[in-house]
Order: sequence, then C-alpha cells, then structure tokens
Amino acid sequence: MRKGFTRSFLFAASLAGGLMSQGALAADKVTYQLDWLPGGDKSPVYVGVQQGFFEAEGLEVSIASGRGSTDAITKIATGQADIGSADIGALMAAKAQDDSLPVKAVYSIFNQAPHAFFTLKKNGIAELTDIDGKKVATSPFTSSNAFLPLVLKGNGLAEDAVKLTKADPGALGPMLMNGGTDAIIAWVTNIALFADQAKATGNELVVLPWSDAGLELYSSSVVASDKFLSERPDVAKRFMRAFDKSLKFTHDNPRKAAEDLHSMVPEVDVDVVTAQIGDTMKLVVNSVSDRDGLGALTEERVALTWDWVAQAEKLEKGVLNPETVIDRDLLEAL
Amino acid sequence: MSLKLPDGKAGRFLLTAAPWLFFLALIVLWELVCQVFSLPEYVLPAPSAIVDAFFNVEFSRWMTHLWATLRVALMGFVVSILVAIPIAIAMMRSELLSRTLYPLLVVIQSTPVVAVAPLIIVLMGSDDPSRVLITCLLTFFPLVVSTATGINETPAELIELSRSLDAPTRRETWQIRIPYAIPHIFSGLRVAITLAIIGAVVAEFVAAEEGLGYFIQFSTSFFRIPQAFAGLFFLAVVSLLLFKSVQWAQQIFFPWSLPRK
Repeated sequence: MRKGFTRSFLFAASLAGGLMSQGALAADKVTYQLDWLPGGDKSPVYVGVQQGFFEAEGLEVSIASGRGSTDAITKIATGQADIGSADIGALMAAKAQDDSLPVKAVYSIFNQAPHAFFTLKKNGIAELTDIDGKKVATSPFTSSNAFLPLVLKGNGLAEDAVKLTKADPGALGPMLMNGGTDAIIAWVTNIALFADQAKATGNELVVLPWSDAGLELYSSSVVASDKFLSERPDVAKRFMRAFDKSLKFTHDNPRKAAEDLHSMVPEVDVDVVTAQIGDTMKLVVNSVSDRDGLGALTEERVALTWDWVAQAEKLEKGVLNPETVIDRDLLEAL
Repeated sequence: MSLKLPDGKAGRFLLTAAPWLFFLALIVLWELVCQVFSLPEYVLPAPSAIVDAFFNVEFSRWMTHLWATLRVALMGFVVSILVAIPIAIAMMRSELLSRTLYPLLVVIQSTPVVAVAPLIIVLMGSDDPSRVLITCLLTFFPLVVSTATGINETPAELIELSRSLDAPTRRETWQIRIPYAIPHIFSGLRVAITLAIIGAVVAEFVAAEEGLGYFIQFSTSFFRIPQAFAGLFFLAVVSLLLFKSVQWAQQIFFPWSLPRK
C-alpha cells in the first residue's frame, strides 16, 4: 500500500513537472466549459481536439462537463473556464439581474429554439393546437418551461391550456410510452433517443418543434469570459477559428464526429451520437444560417431573443440592452 | 417469534447462508416480475439486462470510474479522521471549546450537503479538493460524535484512579480514554465510510469528469437505465466492501475492543 502510494505520488509529481515544463514553451491552454454532460450536441469541441484543429492553432483545449447553462455561466464568470457553451437566454436573464456579470456571447451554435412537444401518433396530437387540454410532462429545471406559456398564447391557446406535471428528465420518456402523459417537453436534439424508446414499445414518435410554432430565437451559444476576451484576444480568435472549423466538420461528417467523441468519452455509443448530431445540426445549419452565416449573432435576432426571454422570465424589456451581452469581434475575425 | 434455528451444524449453515439466500430470492423475484409483466428496460431493467450492461462496459473504464470515486471517498474519510478525532478530544478537555464548537458542528451537519455542494464547487473549483471537502462535510460529524461519546463514557473510577496517581492528562487521554472510546470510534468509522462514498457521489453529481456517480448520471442522460443500475450496484458493492474493511481493521488491530461472543 505504502509502496503503491509512493509510486503514484512520484508518478503524479513527474507528470506535473512534465506538464509545467512543456507548458512554458508550447500550446496556449484553454478550458472549454460544456453546459451539460458530453453528448452528440456537444461533439464539435471534441472534434476540434481529435482532428487537431485546436493543435494546429497552437491551442491545448481541455473540456469540462457542466450541469446546466447557469452552472456553465457561473464557472466561466468565476474563471474556472475561459469559454464554453450556454443558452444565450440564460445569459441574458443573468445579465439582466446582475449587470456586472463578466461573460459575453461570441458565436451562436443553435440559431433555433430546441424546445418541442414530443408525443405518440396514437395520442392524436398532430399539430400544436391539438395540445389543448392534454397532459404534458416536463423536467423541473429546463429553460423550456418558461417559454411554454408564450408558445401556447402565440397559438391562440390559454396559458394554462395544458395539464403540466414535472418529473425527472430520465422519467419523461417512460411516462410518455406508458401513457402516463399525452406529451412531454424535450429538446429536438434527443429525437433519436426518444424515437428508439417509442419503437421499442411499438409506437411512433411525433415531434412538434416550437420553432415551427413561432418561437424564433438564438439558443445554445459560445460564451466567453470578459477576462479571456480582453487578456488573451489572440488565443480567443484562434480558438473560435478552430471551433468554427470543428462545427463545419461535425456537420459534414457526423459519424466521424461521433467517433471522435467516443474516443474521448468511451461511454457514448457511436450510433446514438451520430443520430443525435443529425438532429442537432438542424438547429445549426438551416435557413437562418443560410441567410446570416454560421455562428452569426445578428442585431435583429438578438433583439428578438431578448423579447422572448424577457417575456418568458417576466422581466422588464428595458432592464437590459441585449447588445451588451454580445461581442462580435471574434465572429468578424473568422 | 417462535422461529427456531435447527441445532448444530445445520443451524450455523443457515445462519451464514440466510442473507445470501434471501438476496438471491429477491433477484429471482425481480427477474420474474420483469419477465412476466414484460416491463420495458427503462421502467425497471431485469437483473439479467443489468448484468449484460455491466459486461458491455470495458473493465478498464470501470476501474477508471472506481478509482475516481474511491480516491475522493478515501481522502475525505482520512481527512475526516484527522480532523474529527482531535476535535473530539479537544472538546472533551475544554468545556468552553465544546460549547463554542458544538452548535457549529450541528449547523454543519443539518445543512443539506446537496444544496451546499454547488456553492463549494464555485468557491473552490471543480477539482479534488472541493470534492474531498464535500465528502468531509458528510463524514466528519458522526466521527466527532462517536469519539466524544466514547471518551465521555470512560468509567469515572478509572479517571479518579489515574488522577489520584497524578497521571498527566496526556496519559489519561491516550491510555484510558481513547482505548475506552475505540469501540465507539469504530462504529463512527463504519457510518462514516459509507457516507464517504455518498459524499463522493454527491460531489460527482455536481462537477466531475469521471467516477461512478458521474457514470450513473451520464448513463441516465442517454436513457441507458440498465447501465445506470449496473453502476449503482457496483457502487453498492464497493460501499459494502469498505464497510467490511473497517470491521476487519478493527478485528486485526483492536481485537480486544470487540464485544465478547
């Protein structure tokens, strides 16, 4: 035991020493903070590492998993990470409450809302207005919940038109398949996972994305700390150049991207992740990106996003100029 | 209760085998329920599906996750011992200290660690030190209480005797009070070691890149319920082994402290 301990201590010491001496002359270190656990929708940054896009820019990127957008924003704000992904709506809401929050959005990943109703064909909910009076289950902490009343109102329904219950995210699928609920609220990035569950029980999944129902906004975005942007602007530029490349690569080679993720996170299944990437990319590359460009944060859509977020979070529209959470320097340098 | 064990060998065998047989019966019942009602995997996976899922994960991955959890749990456990026992001794010696610290300890103990864990991660970063602290917050209170109880339960006449012989407090503590406290300390250690695993898992739920708690959370995020159950059982087995190890340590190093059979 003692010997083992000494050995592992020596190993750790030599490793630390090795890392330090290497860091002095080699790559710039960047910590990328995910807003959730690794999965298909998070694969671009893993692609960047595996395909050597970051290395080619002289960067050494480490990836930390997160537990929600607020968690990611907090870690970036407190300097535990330099840059990462988070919901731009969560960033706006946080900034509206604390103006000094030192985090900015620099690149949009999802230019569409990922929220959707998932239901089964046999439940007879073919379009959004059919949801009237139905039982809907959602997870307690998802950002989708805040948008639900707006989506219902926007479709001519009462804000309380559905019977809403809250359950653990892992329980939503089973509830839907068991008939415990008529529909659930989930992200379109998980269509493949739910479709599998539906198929296993002899059902057919129906997805009604809220973006089709008028919810037009930016969602998951790349956000960075003010410190990173102001103290290491060149590193930030190189990072975004490689990230942009990684995102395009992920779109063009979903299976390769899934394999890259798998080689860094062996627990993920390549088939499942490939399907997830396919679902996710519809939020990234679409008519909006065709019009504005990949990653774009247009003034108009940023304002639109804040409109939705302010309404959803019941905040005064005037408390935040949404432009103050945006930094377009990196986008322009791409 | 008129359930009587058969005499002799058969009785002893039954006594040893009973927990295993009961456990086996539960597993069989579970499997049967799953098969008969053909429950889907994501509702309640059958034991056979869980075993399958266990072997579908590479052994080296299990070891990586195990080591991550074990490392934090054991570090937290050791730090707790190093902190709790001196605190208990100090509190025993000084009433002032005892009155000052005890309320604080109770406050720490009654604060739900799950709620505090995210704050600790924000304050201290998402590396081992914060995970160890989260573990310590759970483990150290039972240790302080059990040690303090043990020290206070030293028979008064022994203390009087040692004082009448003018023994210094240090000797009184080490040669009379601590030995008397050993059984209590070990019951505290047994509670603490299982709490250490829980603490490590709580920490992993908040921030981690590996570990059995992280693995379970990760598996559910992909709706792989059998795999999550496999992680859960692995965790339970590890916890059980650690609990046993504390018992073995007591048997080996302090055999006199065990109740006579």
